[in-house]
Amino acid sequence: MKTFIPGLSRRDFFTIGLVLLEVIIFSIVSENFLSSSNLRSVLRNATELSLVSIGMTIVILMGGIDISVGSALGVVAIIVGWLIQAEVHPLLIGLTAIVVGTTIGFINGSLITFGRIPDIIATLGMSNILRAAVFGMLGGRWITGLPPVFSPLVQGQLFGIPASIFVIFFFYLIFWLFLTFLPIGRHIYATGNSVEAAKLSGIDVRKTRIIGYMLLGSLVGFSSLLYVGRLGSVEITVGIDLPISAIAAVVIGGASVFGGRGSIIGTLAGVFFMAFMKNGLLLLGIPSLWERAVIGFLIILSVGIDLLINKRQAISKFLRIKTRQPQAGEA
Amino acid sequence: MIERFIKQSLPALLSNRVYFLIVLLIVVVIIMSLISPYFLNARTILDILRMGTVLLLLSIGQTLIILAGGAGIDLSVGAMLSLSGVFLGILSRSGVDIWVAALLTILFGGFLGSINGFTVAIWGLPPLIGTLGAMWAYGALALVITNGVPISNFPREFAFIGDGRILGIPAQILLVALPVFLIIYFFLNWSYLGRWVYLIGVNETAAKFAGIPVTRVRFSLYTLNGILAGIGAVVMASWLMVARPDVGNGMELQSITVTVLGGTNIFGGFGSLFGTLLAVLIVTLVASGLQLAGINAIWQLAVLGFILLGAVSVNQLIFSLKARQSGLST
Repeated sequence: MKTFIPGLSRRDFFTIGLVLLEVIIFSIVSENFLSSSNLRSVLRNATELSLVSIGMTIVILMGGIDISVGSALGVVAIIVGWLIQAEVHPLLIGLTAIVVGTTIGFINGSLITFGRIPDIIATLGMSNILRAAVFGMLGGRWITGLPPVFSPLVQGQLFGIPASIFVIFFFYLIFWLFLTFLPIGRHIYATGNSVEAAKLSGIDVRKTRIIGYMLLGSLVGFSSLLYVGRLGSVEITVGIDLPISAIAAVVIGGASVFGGRGSIIGTLAGVFFMAFMKNGLLLLGIPSLWERAVIGFLIILSVGIDLLINKRQAISKFLRIKTRQPQAGEA
Repeated sequence: MIERFIKQSLPALLSNRVYFLIVLLIVVVIIMSLISPYFLNARTILDILRMGTVLLLLSIGQTLIILAGGAGIDLSVGAMLSLSGVFLGILSRSGVDIWVAALLTILFGGFLGSINGFTVAIWGLPPLIGTLGAMWAYGALALVITNGVPISNFPREFAFIGDGRILGIPAQILLVALPVFLIIYFFLNWSYLGRWVYLIGVNETAAKFAGIPVTRVRFSLYTLNGILAGIGAVVMASWLMVARPDVGNGMELQSITVTVLGGTNIFGGFGSLFGTLLAVLIVTLVASGLQLAGINAIWQLAVLGFILLGAVSVNQLIFSLKARQSGLST
C-alpha cells in the first residue's frame, strides 16, 4: 500500500520563493542585512515564534485556533523567572515549564471538546484569564536581572553555529516526522479535513483535539524558557503579539484556517518571512511604528496573491461584481 | 410542580439565550448592589450605561458580520475606531467645522470598512486574516500619523454628544446608542437584506441558489461595521475630548466576547441583536460594578473571561441536555 507523504507542495514553494525574494530585495537595499551578526539576531528573535508556530500549525490543521498562547507564555515565563530566582535546578525548571504549558493546553482542549465551546471563544476566554493572571503574578513589578540560566539555548554556539538553529531544526524535524509518519499525526490532518469522516474511520476526534492543544501548550512552555533566556526579564506585556504573529506565520505559510491544509515547512518559511521583514524594515531605518502597518499589508497581499493564483474563480468573480444583477426571480 | 419546573421548564428557559441573559443580568445587578451601596441609583446606572455606547456600536457590527457566516469576523474594529478618531482630530485641528468633520469621519469609517469588505468578501481572503492585516495596518497608521501623541483641540460645544444630557438622559444613549440599535434591529428583522444576513449564515450555497447576492451582502456588512466604528469614534472623541491613537486597543476582543456571550453562533446563522444588547449591559455593569467596589481593572479581564467561558459552556450543556430529553421523548 502506498502511503501519502506530504513533501514540499506547490504552496510551500510559493512561500519559500516569497522569503527568497524578500532576502534578495533586502540584501540589495541594505548592505548589513546579510552580515552574520544581523542574521544571528534575526534567528535569535525568531526562535520562540518558530516553536509556537509549530503548535499553532497543528491546531489550525484541525480547524482550531489558539489566541491564548501569548498570555500562556507569560504565565509560564513568570513561573520560570520565580524558579530561577529560587535557584532550582535548570532541568527541573524546564520540566515544570513544559508541564505547566501542557496543562494550559489540556484545559483549552477540554473546554473545546468537553465544554463544546468553539475554539476561538474558549481560547479567547482563557487568554483574558491568563492575561489577568500575568498582571496579578507580576503585581506591577517586572522580573528583571535573571541569571542567564537558559541563555545558551538561544545565544550559545555549537561548532560556531548559533544554538537557535539547532533548536529550531530539532523541533521542526521532530514535528515533521510526527505529523507525517505517526498515526496521531495523520489523525490530525484527517480531523481537520472532515470531522465526520474522521469519526467514521474510527479516529477518536476528541482525543486528537486535546492532544493537539497539549502539544501546542508544551511548545509554549518550552518557548517561555527561550524567552527568559533571551531577555533575562519578564515584562508585563510579555507575549502580547505572539498569538497574532504565530497565526500570521502559519497562514502566510499556506495553512487554511478552515483546517486540513497546511504544512510545517510552509510555517517555517512563514516565520522567516515575518522575521526578515521586521529586521529589514529596522535596517532601512523605517520608524518602528510603521512595522505593523507594513506587515499587516503584506499579510493581506501574500495570502491574497496565493488566493488569486489558486482560484481563477476569484478573479472572474471580482470582474463580474459590477455587472451581475440580483437574480431574485430565478428558480 | 416544583420538580416539573426544575426538570422541564427551567432548562427550556435557560437554553433560550435571551432569557438566560436576562437572568444573568438580574443576578449581576443583585450582586453588584450588594457589593456597592451606590450601585442601585438611576443616575449611576445611566452613567454606567454611557460606557457601553461605543462597545454597543462595535458589537452590533460584529454581530451582523458573524451572523452572515463564512467564518466572518472583524478583528479591525478597534483599529478602525482609533484611526477614525485620529482622522476627526486632524480635521478639527485644520479648522474644519466640527459637525462637518464628524460626518466626514463617519464616511471615513465606512471607507475603512469597505476596504475590509473588498479584501474579505470580494477578494476572498479568510476574514480572520484579512481583518487581522487591516487591524495592524490601521492601528499602526493611527500611531504613525499622530506619532503616538493624542490630538486635543475640539471645540467646547462638541462635548455635547459624549457628555450632554437631554431630560437627564445622557445624550450619547438617547441620540446615538438607542437610534442606531433600533434602526439596525428593524433592518435585521423586518427587511429583505436583514433576513438575507441570516440566510447566508445558515447556508451559503442555498442562499446563492436562492439568488441572494452573497458577496454584496457581506461587503455591505463590513462597510456598515466601518460606519459604526466611525460613529463610535465621534462619540469617543466627544466624550474624552481627545483623539487617542490607541483608544480602540482591545475593543475587537471585547466586541467578539460580547457578541458570543449574547448568543450569536460563531459559525453564523443564529443569534440576535437583542442578545448582544443584553451582553453589552452585563459586561458594562460588571466592569463598572467592580470599579465601584474598588477591584483592580486587571481582574475585570479575568471576570470577563470567566463569564464568557461559563455562559457559553452552561448554554451548550443545557442545549445538549434538552436535545437528549426531546430525543428520548419522541
